[in-house]
Amino acid sequence: MSCLWSLWIRKGEKRMNKVSFGGEWSVRRAYLVGRNTFLEAVRLKLFYALMLMSLFALGSSFLLKEFNFGSSELKFIADFGFGGLTFFGSVMAVVLTAQLFFGELEHRTAITLLAKPMRRSEFIVGKFLGVGLGLFCFVAAILSSLVLALWVRETSLAALYPESFGDGFGIRYFDLLGFGILQVIRLAMLSSLVMLFASYATSSLFSIVMGMMVWLIGQLQYLASSSIGQIESAFVGGLLKVLSLMIPNFHLFDLGDRIALGEVIVAADFLWIAAYGSLYSLFYISLAALSFRYREL
Amino acid sequence: MNAVTVDRLTKSFDLSSSRLRVCAVQELSFEIGEGRIFGLLGPNGSGKSTTIKAILGLLTPDRGSCSIFGMPSQMPSSRSKVGYLPEGPFFYKYLSGIELLVYLGQLGGLKRSQAKSRGLELLERVGLEDAIDRRIGGYSKGMLQRVGLAQALINDPRLLILDEPTAGVDPVGAADITRLIQEFKDEGRTILLCSHLLSQVEKVCDEVAVLSKGRMMVSGNIEDLLLKNESSCRVRGMDAESIDVLKKDIERLGGSLEIEKSRKTLDELFMELVDPEGGKADE
Repeated sequence: MSCLWSLWIRKGEKRMNKVSFGGEWSVRRAYLVGRNTFLEAVRLKLFYALMLMSLFALGSSFLLKEFNFGSSELKFIADFGFGGLTFFGSVMAVVLTAQLFFGELEHRTAITLLAKPMRRSEFIVGKFLGVGLGLFCFVAAILSSLVLALWVRETSLAALYPESFGDGFGIRYFDLLGFGILQVIRLAMLSSLVMLFASYATSSLFSIVMGMMVWLIGQLQYLASSSIGQIESAFVGGLLKVLSLMIPNFHLFDLGDRIALGEVIVAADFLWIAAYGSLYSLFYISLAALSFRYREL
Repeated sequence: MNAVTVDRLTKSFDLSSSRLRVCAVQELSFEIGEGRIFGLLGPNGSGKSTTIKAILGLLTPDRGSCSIFGMPSQMPSSRSKVGYLPEGPFFYKYLSGIELLVYLGQLGGLKRSQAKSRGLELLERVGLEDAIDRRIGGYSKGMLQRVGLAQALINDPRLLILDEPTAGVDPVGAADITRLIQEFKDEGRTILLCSHLLSQVEKVCDEVAVLSKGRMMVSGNIEDLLLKNESSCRVRGMDAESIDVLKKDIERLGGSLEIEKSRKTLDELFMELVDPEGGKADE
């Protein structure tokens, strides 16, 4: 497995070597740190453990389909797949980021790297890219399995009940691809938040706990945002509005239900959510780089 | 131009358990000329690592400044000509020796092919030719120090900063590393050496600085520092029978009288400076 990863990233390296790097900030150094971080990520048992758990959640939907409480069987399978992807993916984003960042500090390998002519922001961006690539692989593996599971079941159901599938297949597989891209952005956004905590925290546990808390708050943030309008005091309302902007709305990315119900997601929605997540990630990574710049190693 | 200039460096840290601040280094100044081997000595907690980190720009001084070849240490480009071996080096366990060197060489600006050929050459030079493709997780402490030395040299630095290069290494390995340090000097590199192995420092260093509790106790040319302010007398060419009359008429008997400055060891100087009470008790 490691050899496959190595071959894949070696191709990327050849491309990076061709890039001319002007100025002091080096894309190549960030890429090299990212490549090494990714190799470290895919060597962690945690990576495979969470992937297996997510696949297990998807597989269990076939065993538990009798308890689908009236929803369609395909939606039941999709819900399990989306749930596993979101939950275990988020756990992975938080734990992997903290572990891979603090691993470098605790083992003092960061000192060896930063004793090279390397900027701290290159190190932060490199770590983020490496974790992001790991998360991309996770989402790709789980989503491929989900698509396969849905397609196999939908095909067999279509053969059994052709009258119910008269208009063609119900699942919009192309939208699932968009959903996958949005999940990578969502997890990268969470990872960038954990990177911000890790950039000044002294323990990985603090970063993990804070990351989990922010994930939960961000997941429920839309409920609080909707009730801000009911607050009478303009000052308190404004303050809460600003605070709610500090934590991204993770609920925006929960398009799984709509896709599973066959609802058409327009491209503008996808693009807006992708831009929202990318901008937040950029903001948090910039803050993390700024904070890490002044950290004493 | 000096390879390293440390000018009135002061650095203190917050103690995590209280509001107190501990001063790790206070008003420290020294310079290292190009091509010299400079020994930075001191007991544990004397501020050596803080000084090295400040030189490498890993810490921001409270006051004072550090520069490498005239460039302020806070600039990443100041480290482009520096190789650093950290104390108790720990590298990525999942990489092999050559993979580590290629990775760090590339970070220092080498192309992959250049980093690989130089890495192979260096691993052979430090005696790891049989462990080139072995995972670092399986290396012994001595092998880690050797691969650490190799990675410090991968970008052909003009300044080498070696923090305890012989820690955890057996005597044969320590002698090998001492020989390598001498070779690095012969190649024209400047070396800042931190070591508790004072015999090694005495053997290879041109200059030393001794720190204690964050302050500079003494610094200068090692030969000057080790000369005692007293003279000893040695008589040659005498047989045992003549010894009785020696004191009365040395010159009439045809003996030769040589007067030379006596020399203490670096261990003696170190103990005098950092633990004067202990030194007296021994006497």
